[in-house]
Amino acid sequence: MLNFETTVQDSKSYGDLTLSEVEPILKINLRSNKREFSTKIGKILSIIPPIEANTSSSNEDYSILWLSPDEWLIYSNNKISYEQQNLLEENLFKNISSINQGSVTNVTDHWVMINLKGSKIYDLLSKSSPYDFKNFKMKKGSVAQTLLNHTDVILHNIDDNNLNLFVRRSFSEDLWLWINDSARFL
Amino acid sequence: MFIINCPYCGERDQTEFSSGGEAHIVRPKQPTELSDDEWAEFLFMRKNIKGIQFERWNHSHGCRKWFNVVRDTSNDKIHAVYKMGEKPPVNK
Repeated sequence: MLNFETTVQDSKSYGDLTLSEVEPILKINLRSNKREFSTKIGKILSIIPPIEANTSSSNEDYSILWLSPDEWLIYSNNKISYEQQNLLEENLFKNISSINQGSVTNVTDHWVMINLKGSKIYDLLSKSSPYDFKNFKMKKGSVAQTLLNHTDVILHNIDDNNLNLFVRRSFSEDLWLWINDSARFL
Repeated sequence: MFIINCPYCGERDQTEFSSGGEAHIVRPKQPTELSDDEWAEFLFMRKNIKGIQFERWNHSHGCRKWFNVVRDTSNDKIHAVYKMGEKPPVNK
């Protein structure tokens, strides 16, 4: 039985900046270098995994983030029930993993998703990230895997001044405390 | 500190990468036929030159892919970046 209890479970606001953990969100890691893989994903989710680096593709329900030339992360744009998550995972597993077209791994409990909103989010991230956000913030749908306060994060630009940050569960509490501490001084 | 142009993700800060040492070291085909000295030569001995060096790098905090870099160790200038399995774009 999956445990969706997280360590953060909080929402904070600092002037224009709003931080909140969003859950339960389905997260699935995909790995494949097979040709038919993209069409299979397209049939199941109605989105094709992006080929271009640092980009994503989305529809109403799901987003697929490019992580590496043969690795993607699917996550649900809205909160979805445990039963629905299981159905989609099983469907993907049946059509991809079980016929050796790639690997499907449920990483819902591996990543914690934190939503950051407000005009000062890039000031906050720039405090402790080596990444250059110039192009990232201009392009809706950009994806970046980088470091934030020495912690691995995946960033997804979903709209102007609105992004989702994925952090590993074991680092989430530490990063959450750092974000809150830094946000006070913006 | 310097910027590395990852062949998959683009330009990123060096802190996102980890160095994997000298590149293009070929594993001997028949290790059992080698003397201890020859095996040690392959296993441990690495060049540490001042000047242009061929290195392996891993984008460990990004796409997690390995690639090769031609770097001048005296000034950290990167002359070329190329994927694993590709031939060096400058003479080795």
